[in-house]
Amino acid sequence: MPDIAFFGFAAVTVLGAILALESRDLVYGAVSLGVSFLGVASLFFLLDAAYIGVFQIAVYIGAVVILILFTVMLVGPAKGEGPTEFRRTALFIGILVAMMLGVGGALASPSAFSTNQPCTPECDLAQFSQSLLVTYSVQLAVLSLVFAAAVIGALTLAKSERGTA
Amino acid sequence: MVAPGLAEIFYYLGFIVVATLVPIIALFLIVTPRDAKPSPMKLETYEAGQMPSGRGRTRFIIQYYPYLLIFVIYDVVAMFLFAWALTLRTLQPPGSGTWPILIFMGVLLVPLAYSIHLASQRDLW
Amino acid sequence: MADPISDPIGFSLEIMTSPLFFKVAVFPGLTSIGIIIALFIWLDRKITARVQLRVGPLYASPLGGVLQSFADLIKFAFKELFIPRNADKFFFVAAPVLALIGGAGLVGLIPFTPEWQISNLELGLPAFLAFVTLSPMLILLAGWSANSKYPFIGGLRSLFQQTAYEIPLWLSAIGVVMMAGTMNLIGIVQAQSKPWVIFLGLSIPGWYIIPQALGALLFFITATAEMERIPFDLPEAEPEIIMGWQAEYPGFLFMSAAGASFVRLYAFSALFSVLYLGGWMGPAPVPALLWTAIKIIIVSSLIILLRATFPRVRIDQLLRAGWTYLLGLAFLNIVITYLLVVGPRI
Repeated sequence: MPDIAFFGFAAVTVLGAILALESRDLVYGAVSLGVSFLGVASLFFLLDAAYIGVFQIAVYIGAVVILILFTVMLVGPAKGEGPTEFRRTALFIGILVAMMLGVGGALASPSAFSTNQPCTPECDLAQFSQSLLVTYSVQLAVLSLVFAAAVIGALTLAKSERGTA
Repeated sequence: MVAPGLAEIFYYLGFIVVATLVPIIALFLIVTPRDAKPSPMKLETYEAGQMPSGRGRTRFIIQYYPYLLIFVIYDVVAMFLFAWALTLRTLQPPGSGTWPILIFMGVLLVPLAYSIHLASQRDLW
Repeated sequence: MADPISDPIGFSLEIMTSPLFFKVAVFPGLTSIGIIIALFIWLDRKITARVQLRVGPLYASPLGGVLQSFADLIKFAFKELFIPRNADKFFFVAAPVLALIGGAGLVGLIPFTPEWQISNLELGLPAFLAFVTLSPMLILLAGWSANSKYPFIGGLRSLFQQTAYEIPLWLSAIGVVMMAGTMNLIGIVQAQSKPWVIFLGLSIPGWYIIPQALGALLFFITATAEMERIPFDLPEAEPEIIMGWQAEYPGFLFMSAAGASFVRLYAFSALFSVLYLGGWMGPAPVPALLWTAIKIIIVSSLIILLRATFPRVRIDQLLRAGWTYLLGLAFLNIVITYLLVVGPRI
């Protein structure tokens, strides 16, 4: 049952990603990206990393895709440029590389896909918090600086664009 | 063998699938026996009784765009706070998470105040 | 378990009589959701009418017109389904139906009692809040797809409104997680089972509405904003932008869009009673399910009363208040909860 589910979710993720690249209408592209993120979130749920899955849904679909959608709609009814020969080749190469990476990874380390200890999602999250707040507390402070820089940078970029226009 | 948490997730997925099928079946049942009589006027969009003019997807004020930008960042911050709140009492050594999260939030309140200050200056946007 | 190939009738009977099927199909699943949509529409009309010194629906049954909203829902199903010219057909149809499904998905996470719950996710609370974030995207797509001015303005307003309420909503729910030490919804209710104080033989239940009074108020306000009900119904705003994103919807699709809003009213009332009012527990020996029902009715009636009494806020007021007052009070609530749980030490 988890195997079938895994292949289903993986197919949703990959198809969503391909559609996001290939669709002519940018709004459809953004929504396909959301579907792809939903597939990734489901994969996280399947891996018993439920919190990361919830995180994925709330942040990526709830905020990032919406930001993309808004920007696309703000730009207006302009359609994205259609798929060209070069992009088809790039897509083919990308799929090939992804397959090689997947197969290579699976061949290289069967142990990489086995969990070391059984753990409920909650204790998983407790371990995550422990390492985030205690072990890597300095990194957390640096992360807050990164977030702060992101906020100020985004505002400055958006503002200056309007100022020159 | 699946973990107990995983079984609940599969129940939930099953529920969503059933919940998806029911309105779709209802939609097909409703659409098929109808004798649709579309007319040009009926298919026009509503614009206060006038014939619609101009683009349907109008321009909208960009004035509130900074809120959307900072929302993306502070959504992530809220998720970090959830992780802290869950382990408030179980962290080892106890109470060790408070200073890191205080510093984390303290650093992030400064750009928040700055962005709210910027967002309130309407002529910038 | 009967074999599905050799004994299809026995197999289907076993499926139909299994408790999980009953939960998905009848209660708290789909059938009950459909009936509760109609009941909430009736409650909405009745309370609004009482406040405005009218009587509301009256004739359709001896019980004060309960059957009126069922009749309206059936009537909607037989309306002609047409899609405006130049509309994006796929999203125009898909968005309201998906909104309805998303609302049902929220109900699937709620524990009405420990037995009456479809899926007991370990991270029920953040999962609920994360699935809630999908609805502004659907509203935006619905508004965009109609290719009309009022729906598009409504969809964009929904998007901006989300930025105002989303983070205060998460932060006010954090107070409950800090007190309960779990994100499982059943665990949160069980953490409220210990009585707070025993006074003259009366035990005041340890519901989180007492220590989390500020958090509960914030959650109530932001949840009302999430449901897009007056005073926060900017994306619909009937007098300003003519029902906003629902303006172009015909028949069944309008029913889905309006029904989705009532399903979310139901889900959020249930979540509020789970988080702050002790879920299925109560001081009197009444069946657990009845307690849940009473609390849901009280909370949803309060939300409906707001609709009948308050004027609409402006979007700039809402954004400003969301990012300053609501966010600041949510941080204050976290500090208060920290002092309650850990004490005045760091």
